[in-house]
Amino acid sequence: MNPAGGGEPMIVARGIGKRYGSVTALDGVDLDVHQGSVHGLLGHNGAGKTTLVRILTAQTRPSAGRATVSGFDVVDQPERLRRKIGLTGQFASVDEQLSGRDNLILIARLLGAGRRQARARADELLESFGLVDAAGRLARTFSGGMRRRLDLAASLVGRPAVVFLDEPTTGLDPAARLNVWQIVRDLVRDGATVLLTSQYLDEIDRLSESLTVLSDGRILAAGSPMELKHQVGRRTAVVRFEAVADLKVAGPVLSGSGLRPALDEARTSVTVPVETSRDIATIVRALDDAGLELSELQVAEPTLDEVYLSLMSAAAQSAGSERAEAVK
Amino acid sequence: MTIAGGTIGGGPRAADAGTWEGSGVATQIWVLALRSLRALVLDPRILVSSLLAPFLMLLVFSQIFAGIANTPQFPAGVGYTDFLVPAIMVNTAMQSAMQTGIGLTQETQNGIIARLRSLPIWPGSILVGRSIAELIRSLLRLVVLLASALLIFGFRPAGGAGGVLAGIGLAALLGWGLGWIFIALTCWLREVELIQNVSGILLFPLMFASNAFVPVEALPRWLQVVAVINPMTHGIDAVRDLTHRGDAGGSAAVAVATALAVAVVAGFTAVKGLERDS
Ligand SMILES: Nc1ncnc2c1ncn2[C@@H]1O[C@H](COP(=O)(O)OP(=O)(O)OP(=O)(O)O)[C@@H](O)[C@H]1O
Ligand SMILES: [Mg+2]
Repeated sequence: MNPAGGGEPMIVARGIGKRYGSVTALDGVDLDVHQGSVHGLLGHNGAGKTTLVRILTAQTRPSAGRATVSGFDVVDQPERLRRKIGLTGQFASVDEQLSGRDNLILIARLLGAGRRQARARADELLESFGLVDAAGRLARTFSGGMRRRLDLAASLVGRPAVVFLDEPTTGLDPAARLNVWQIVRDLVRDGATVLLTSQYLDEIDRLSESLTVLSDGRILAAGSPMELKHQVGRRTAVVRFEAVADLKVAGPVLSGSGLRPALDEARTSVTVPVETSRDIATIVRALDDAGLELSELQVAEPTLDEVYLSLMSAAAQSAGSERAEAVK
Repeated sequence: MTIAGGTIGGGPRAADAGTWEGSGVATQIWVLALRSLRALVLDPRILVSSLLAPFLMLLVFSQIFAGIANTPQFPAGVGYTDFLVPAIMVNTAMQSAMQTGIGLTQETQNGIIARLRSLPIWPGSILVGRSIAELIRSLLRLVVLLASALLIFGFRPAGGAGGVLAGIGLAALLGWGLGWIFIALTCWLREVELIQNVSGILLFPLMFASNAFVPVEALPRWLQVVAVINPMTHGIDAVRDLTHRGDAGGSAAVAVATALAVAVVAGFTAVKGLERDS
């Protein structure tokens, strides 16, 4: 699945499983992310997002399945794989005892940069992440958001081809979030591949060409945000009236035209699921025939939130019925 | 905020910006040792307290145990300060050893070790770098300890300057070797409080069930048995011989060999622990 139509596969996972004692953190997870694209990983707390990131960055071994990143096997070639990746883990990992600048210089030196190159690279990144003013201060004195940005900068020091970002914007203020989004876009523009986990669906919606929804370690759905919205959500039309009396008339009129209106008296509006644009024409015609004055008509695409919630409730139901089966 | 063209990115187009080929193990160790050293020495609170501790120990023990110098078991012609200083030296080095483990656990918890582990470097560099930084700090503490012993406590080692320097070197080496046991413990246990407790529990009997504060002959009989097999006793003996006589003969060689052997075995175990899947 490659809606962006981009380059060669950079992250390939097949049947990844991970067990911690009796806990199954991941079960049969497949993943394909192509060069130059952003792939989003969504899932509830404990769904297995971080575990998957840790496996793909060779921090922990899978109990089942195989995966390669930039062509290198996560189990057999961890050193070569690490040359290709940058990782921003879920929890900031900076050296508290060093200044912001020295943190970045340290990483650059460990990656093989000379002293001067390391300093230049650090300054470049401090600039990009808006940390120039704080650069000389010990990281211990940084605010949570500043630490997060420093952490992000640290993962990009080596210009990695594949970047893993585990909830990179959690705890950032709105301006800093926008900054991170821009950085992700720039990374991709420069040819990098990004795997991004997030609790914010709008973030995934804006940034990623494709996404995977995990639940209890399994893939619940995968595809482009558009595909998932069409698969699960429905478009709706919302019609508002000036008076509640009009609203009361509109209900039966719309039902009579074969639609399924839901009235909201507080907002004097009615919400109607629409399948095709013909439904929209039907709404307008029926209300017009009834002599009703509409003050507002909106057609809304489903949000990824709706997609996510409906996937989750479907998963909960099927888990429930499986349990019921088991009882019989 | 926009970013000037192509400065942060990766992938093919970044190639012209120059990618690095990775660093050698020596560079890794050097860079990481400097990093740890900077934290240990730049923070004035940590520096002062670490320099003060051996001084206080010398002050307290020289007062408590001074009377022992008059008992028949005590070697004739040796002042208690002369007897005590080598033991404090070894103890100071041992505390540095413990500190290596504790510092490492704290780093594991604030995540920097995870960051370093995600880099294409030999994981052992992280540990070796830290142990070298701690060794340097340990030498610093020993120098301060001896300076105050000479200037304030009237320490007059018969072994002369050469003997004292050799003593410092041996004590530091012993601490460095033992430090690897604590590093290995840290890599396998990974919990600050546990490490602190285990370290404390280990160090206490090693220190007191030895000839550190009184000669072995002055200990109760069952403790004498423990003291004789306690490696600390032999380490302290070697440092004493160096400072008192300027020459320790075979005991120093045995101490050096033991410290190195411990470092190798524990070091190997530690790297295995660090690489262990979690
Ligand atoms: N080291 C570990 N030992 C035991 N269980 C673990 C370990 N790491 C993760 N787990 C378990 O694996 C499951 C998946 O955890 P994971 O951290 O991958 O979730 P997540 O999707 O990242 O959640 P969150 O949104 O809260 O970050 C959880 O049930 C968790 O308890
Ligand atoms: Mg997580």
